[in-house]
Amino acid sequence: MTNTNTAPTLAPDFLPELMSFMSRPNGDDGAFNQLALKLFNHQFRHNLALQRFCRMQGKTPRTVRHWRDIPAVPINGFKELTLSCVPPEQCERVFMTSGTTRKDNRGRHYHPHLRVYDHSMKLHFAQRFMRGQPSIRMGILFPGEEMMPNSSLAHYLALAKQEFGAPGSAYFVGPDGMDVEGLCAVLEEAEATATPYALLGASYSFVHLMDALQRLGRRFSLPEGSKLFDTGGFKGQSRELGAVEFYEMLQHYFGVAPARCTNMYGMTELSTQFYDDGNAQQPAVKSGPHWIRTRAVNPLTGQDVPEGERGVLVHCDLANFNSTTTLLTEDVGVIVPDGFLLLGRAEGAQAKGCSLAMDAFLQATAE
Amino acid sequence: MKNTLHTRAGHLPGQDLSRTEWVSRSFSAHGRTVELSLPRISPDQLQALAHYTALSAKTQLAGMPVLEIVDIIDRVIARMLDASHPMRREMDALLPIVSGFDAEMTRLGINACLKNFCRPQLLRFLAEDFGDIGLLDGFRPRPRGGWAHACGACLVGHVWAGNVPGLPLWSLVSALLVKSGSVGKVSSAEPLVASWFAHTLAEVEPRLADTLAIVWWPGGETALEEVLCREVEVLKVYGSDAAVAAWQRLLPAGKRLLPHGNKLSVGMVSAAALDTRQAQLAARQAALDIMRWDQQGCYSPQVVYVERGGALDPADFARHVGGELAALQHSFPRRALTLEDASSAAHWRQAQELAMLQGQDVELLGGPDTLWAVAYFATPRPPEATALHRTVCVMAVDRLEDTIPLLEKRRTWLQTVGVAATPEELFRLAPLIARTGVTRICALGHMTTPEAGWHNDGRFNLLDLVHMVDIDPCAEAAAEQFTTYRD
Repeated sequence: MTNTNTAPTLAPDFLPELMSFMSRPNGDDGAFNQLALKLFNHQFRHNLALQRFCRMQGKTPRTVRHWRDIPAVPINGFKELTLSCVPPEQCERVFMTSGTTRKDNRGRHYHPHLRVYDHSMKLHFAQRFMRGQPSIRMGILFPGEEMMPNSSLAHYLALAKQEFGAPGSAYFVGPDGMDVEGLCAVLEEAEATATPYALLGASYSFVHLMDALQRLGRRFSLPEGSKLFDTGGFKGQSRELGAVEFYEMLQHYFGVAPARCTNMYGMTELSTQFYDDGNAQQPAVKSGPHWIRTRAVNPLTGQDVPEGERGVLVHCDLANFNSTTTLLTEDVGVIVPDGFLLLGRAEGAQAKGCSLAMDAFLQATAE
Repeated sequence: MKNTLHTRAGHLPGQDLSRTEWVSRSFSAHGRTVELSLPRISPDQLQALAHYTALSAKTQLAGMPVLEIVDIIDRVIARMLDASHPMRREMDALLPIVSGFDAEMTRLGINACLKNFCRPQLLRFLAEDFGDIGLLDGFRPRPRGGWAHACGACLVGHVWAGNVPGLPLWSLVSALLVKSGSVGKVSSAEPLVASWFAHTLAEVEPRLADTLAIVWWPGGETALEEVLCREVEVLKVYGSDAAVAAWQRLLPAGKRLLPHGNKLSVGMVSAAALDTRQAQLAARQAALDIMRWDQQGCYSPQVVYVERGGALDPADFARHVGGELAALQHSFPRRALTLEDASSAAHWRQAQELAMLQGQDVELLGGPDTLWAVAYFATPRPPEATALHRTVCVMAVDRLEDTIPLLEKRRTWLQTVGVAATPEELFRLAPLIARTGVTRICALGHMTTPEAGWHNDGRFNLLDLVHMVDIDPCAEAAAEQFTTYRD
């Protein structure tokens, strides 16, 4: 009997190698490529849905010689297919997309365990948000994991607080909504004691908070060393604000300069996040750690667009060891020397003619 | 050959052009660029234009016999069709760059559109809506007594959308025929043809050119939109459901909105059209309808239903359509896609691929590198929007009647059905199709060339722009009492 068809264990044999590659300060192209191909082989063999998808694209481990050749699964694949090497019922955790268009059809990302996800998050968060600082007192503007067990962001923020939150760190969103009064008291205290403070949450939570502060006629000037973290955009949950206006407002209400505000770009379908190095300039350059690579492609052909041109982003995330390393997003971006610029969603293929266009049709027929 | 062409769009009669602000828009396609200047008018200017065109219509058009207007439009169209005319030559160069469409497709499409507005077609247009075209010139006797006169709105507003060249002519010519003034807002995707018509009219008959203004502003300029809504009597809006709804909210009560929302059209191929001799031709006709204007038209098919039982089965018909689309790509290449369009096309392909992976009855023909795609469905579904740009669904049905309940599900969006069937089938299906919300049944292969006098979206081109004024028989009878020769 050969071992080609053995069921994958929760900890495939490349896991130690992968984790130690991630722990290195940086990784070269060769090592990245080698690991990416190893993961692709593993996923092709054990993830039947992925295998069928790859075969449809005419790609198999025999023809894929470079991480750039790995077929990129469209993120809708996480809705329509079960992308997991390990049977879903054996997975410790499943993160689901928010299902903004159709509630019954949410993308599912299966994690046999969160060791790799957490390793990825902690390493990169320490570097990019904490910037070497061991801890800071945190206020979280997002529900906890018990309220949202399928939210990757809830888990991410819980991990941030657990690993990097100084004593006194707390949640300010609960079953009854946002505790603005409690938060004001904490921010006042931080001002009074000159203790640096970090506020972390969804971009739209900040908008709701600032609206509340405006109604109360309150604003703060957080002490030196304080920082803000937002992610996820507004998703129709609050007013839409331009990035420049958003960070100006944050400065106005919290006294934290845009340069000290970090925006995280993450996806339920990934296990690694991207950050910018402050938002003094827009659009801010986003980048990830050495275990994730990003390309900008023509979404139809999958070919890289010429340098400096807009394309749809494809990420190859080695921390996605159980689903698919490589996925095609719906985000438009431009590759720049130190990362990429995120330019919004690849939508707005507005009907130019008088023919009913697909987007409008889907919106109108969605329940 | 110069690589950058410069042109101006818009027609602002009675306005001091030197005091008008102009903004520049750049269009690139086929390796060339057009720098287009568009007038950036103020709300005051728009109001002045509305007053000027309405007044010109009153003084120049109201007293002019409709047949004279027909002759003038006929002369304008003749110049626009004249391939050697300088303005036509300029348009042949500009339109493919601005729209991105293939040059030959554009030239043929523009001619097909212009031909609808020659004298005989205009007379048919008038006859379609008015049994007696004299109704537009004055009071005409009614068979059962009394008199009636069809009076055009003082001012018609037109909001055009989209990139299909020529679309504005339908409503612009209609307004002239009913002697209304016009203020038309062009879309930034195709601002040229309406301006071209106005400029040619100015050459042929300057007095009439004063009755219409061609303007532009970026969507969502409420101050300008409010002025337009306030000044017009009738507002014809082309665009998405959302755009139509937004205009509806702005329009004061008592003014008429004539909406033309985005539409879905389908093809139907009977087994009778799928014998060995005819099948290839039917596939060719379907492919032509799909190719023309790259499916941007409301009349462009997005789904083709194919009946089982012919010599060629529906799956093979789908392959034939793919083959014809591939062949047409050589003579009429598809326009280059923007990232947004490519993304939409990719989404559509992905949806079909994921459905295939889930074991659904779908087969996707045409790879990511081909400039067309056909999705074949062995089980039919209600019509659905594709990614356009030569992406189409072919669906098998046991009998063409099976399409009726499917069409009914898309009632509000349906427009044209292009049919390849026997006369017996055509007239058996037509009453059933008519009840699904479809407003036009035509031959497959002719979906994108509606005929003069067609009822666009089931409405009346001219009647919708007029109000009838009646003289009751009693007024005539009562007047008799005041004559000197009364009994």
